[in-house]
Amino acid sequence: MARFLFLAIAALGLLAALGTVLARDLVRAGLHLVAFFFCVACLFVVLEAEFLAAAQVLIYIGAVAILLMFGIMLTRNAAGGEADLSGGWRVPAILAGLAVFAALAFGINNTVSPAGAGPWARVVERPALEPADAAWKAERSRAIDDMPRVVGEQFMTRYALAFELAGLLLTAALVGAVALAREDEAADSVAEPEPGAEARPPVATSPRPSTTTAP
Amino acid sequence: MPPNVVPLDLRDFIGVAPAVILAVWGLVVIGLDLARFRRLEPEARRVACGRATLAGVGLALGSAVFLAWVDSLALTDSGRLVALFGESMGGYLGRTDGLIFLGTLARGLAVDVVNVLLLALLAMVVWMSTAYRFTDDLGEYFALLLWATVGMMLLAASEELAMLFIALETTTICLYIATAFERSRRRSAEAGLKYFIYGSVSSALFLYGLSLVYGLAGSTYFDAIGRMLRAGDPGLAGNLAGASALLLLLVGFGFKVAAVPFQQWAPDVYEGAPAPVAAWIATGSKVASFLAMLKVFVHALGPWSRPSESVMGPGWLAVVAVVAAVTMTYGNLAALAQKNYKRMLAYSSIAHAGYLLVGLAAASVSTEGPAAAGGVVYYLVVYALANVGAFAVAAWLARDKGADAISDLDGLGARSPFLAACVVVLMLSLIGVPPFAGFFGKLYVFMEAMRQGPSGTRIVLTWLVALGLLNSVLSAFYYVRVLKAMYLREPSGRPIGPARPALALPIVATAALVTALGVFPGPLVELSRSVAVPMLTARRLEAPAADDLPAPGAESPPGVAWRPETPTTD
Amino acid sequence: MNNDIPLSWFLYFSAASFAIGLTGVLLRRNAVAVLMAIEIMLNAANVNLVAFWRYGTPAAGSGPMPGVILALLVITVAAAEVAVGLGLILLCYRRWRAVDVDRYDTLSG
Repeated sequence: MARFLFLAIAALGLLAALGTVLARDLVRAGLHLVAFFFCVACLFVVLEAEFLAAAQVLIYIGAVAILLMFGIMLTRNAAGGEADLSGGWRVPAILAGLAVFAALAFGINNTVSPAGAGPWARVVERPALEPADAAWKAERSRAIDDMPRVVGEQFMTRYALAFELAGLLLTAALVGAVALAREDEAADSVAEPEPGAEARPPVATSPRPSTTTAP
Repeated sequence: MPPNVVPLDLRDFIGVAPAVILAVWGLVVIGLDLARFRRLEPEARRVACGRATLAGVGLALGSAVFLAWVDSLALTDSGRLVALFGESMGGYLGRTDGLIFLGTLARGLAVDVVNVLLLALLAMVVWMSTAYRFTDDLGEYFALLLWATVGMMLLAASEELAMLFIALETTTICLYIATAFERSRRRSAEAGLKYFIYGSVSSALFLYGLSLVYGLAGSTYFDAIGRMLRAGDPGLAGNLAGASALLLLLVGFGFKVAAVPFQQWAPDVYEGAPAPVAAWIATGSKVASFLAMLKVFVHALGPWSRPSESVMGPGWLAVVAVVAAVTMTYGNLAALAQKNYKRMLAYSSIAHAGYLLVGLAAASVSTEGPAAAGGVVYYLVVYALANVGAFAVAAWLARDKGADAISDLDGLGARSPFLAACVVVLMLSLIGVPPFAGFFGKLYVFMEAMRQGPSGTRIVLTWLVALGLLNSVLSAFYYVRVLKAMYLREPSGRPIGPARPALALPIVATAALVTALGVFPGPLVELSRSVAVPMLTARRLEAPAADDLPAPGAESPPGVAWRPETPTTD
Repeated sequence: MNNDIPLSWFLYFSAASFAIGLTGVLLRRNAVAVLMAIEIMLNAANVNLVAFWRYGTPAAGSGPMPGVILALLVITVAAAEVAVGLGLILLCYRRWRAVDVDRYDTLSG
């Protein structure tokens, strides 16, 4: 049962990922991306990390995907929203992707795990936590049952500095993004097309001229 | 709090005092700029913001020096610490296990020395930023410089993968933004976007490699990973997952230090970014990333470097050796063709990354053990100093000419002879001409590379050293073009004005330091060795418990048996 | 008889989405689309991290959940990265009226 569930989620997720990468319309790509994020959240649930799944839905779907949608909308008229796949590079890119997948899959199949445990391909079930005969088993079953609390404890003790640094990173991103996106006179004065910038034909985009006006 | 949670000692925050001060000071600068400086004239505002930032950097520098004093006292005379700070605090400060935050971060003299270096460089970069006008968001700009430095200091000190990742990201994200800060030029925005795209792709690859390492070793601590790999593992033989992880990590670090083939961003970003930001990308970010790379590759993944006879060949040593060879050759050849001063510096910094990678490859197999990484540390210090000075010249050009071609330097030798002489010193040091420190740095790195145990690696490294020497000769040609422009050509167009202290001081100070370190290399060599050893041998606080994994590495602690097949010689 | 999902299935899923994301990065010219492909790659790494956490035996003293913590940090970083990335993309868009990476041409690289 769990296996069927996994296969269904994984198949949907991979289709959504393919859709994101291949969809010509960026809005559609963005919607595929939301579906992919959701499938990953479902996988987190399957992996018994519900808190992480909630964070994934809230942050990725609630914030990241919405931001991306804003980005698509704000820059939409120039690209024409379609046919931005690079023509000459299509085959090498797909080959590179396949090669990476092949290498990784081969690696997963034939891992020589230094930890003394068997290779990854032979791990068919998660370690049973029931007879809590080792410290880590008790720790982990507590982590699964009470994840928000354990995450909080970890962020307040072991990863205290990482947590602070993440806060600093978000502050920096906020300050920086505001400073970058602020409209000012200087930006407007150079926004006029310089010779050569607009005259070049669009590279590998639609033959349709972009019907752009300033928003 | 339940009993099985390991509590955090809040005094651990003392060990990161410089980073905490800088992080808070960033907000202080933004606040001061908003509340007071914004009303001033642009010129006065810039200087005021710069001075406010410098005050914070000075404060952090003071705390770092104080910590260095405490930590050196802990090594020599810990009884004195108890007398000075009382029983509990003195006992805490006198600990020499070198780890804080439950092992996620290193502390100790090595960390303090790196912090002092980064802060001194930062002070010069901040001062340089007050020399000319390139942005109007001054508070934000200086805050981002400070925050990027927080990331760098913690990156160089991290002992654990989560900490490493978040510090790396903090550093680079702050620098992406700072790169795009020059509002009046389109190329700055373009450079920022390019840097961002290359950077985030490489950090995604890096993260995937990191997840594979976590899966293989079951831990995120460098030391635990190293112990796990050292215990009964036949190198990388047949382990394609390990090899992919290694390559992916190499991509991530290769991007950060601009090694071929991940260097495409560097020339564009250096050219497009404002000169002080480019200086900080070329020096601070590179120093911190290289130290982190040393830790990950030598400390955590060290066992994978050793040669083995099987299919996967000689581990990462061969890959790094190839990357080093290609990087230095490509950097130097491409630099020959440059007419833009900042682009030339970019390619030269790629070439220097190549020399440093030789040092990294050498450190992993040296008979000297971790002390061999001292060469890399020394080279990093010297390289960073010379490059900050060289970028101050770029800032000077940007201020007076609004451009940065090498030909804009024409006639500088006649206009300001003293500063031109300092630039000569910097360029000679970058080439590696004695008696300047660049020469000694190269000598040291190459000497460490020659001092190898196994014959197979010795041949490889000897070839690398030969290539490095050839490359040094090659590099002379493009650095000399700068000297030729300064002394042999007549100035054309608008002349370069006098450099005020904001520009003159970094140039003079770095030239003086580079000369002093070249003439008296001894103290810094000692210091680099003493920095390198604890950095690469930091042990975990907790010993492996009996009921956990078999933990076969427990009986051979890594500090003692550096490389199992060649016993450590003093 | 066990019905649990093998670890390698998660790893295959993650490897496949990572490869798809990488293809997308190489294939796309639009900066926003590249950003989306990068998000796919980050998510793939997250699946890996959580799967390794749940299935692996931890080394001593590495905490109850390093993989989950790392995944949470990655989610944070991704949010910051997207905010900064969109700021940069909009900045460039205002200058060039284009989001195709190929069309920015002041720098020769």
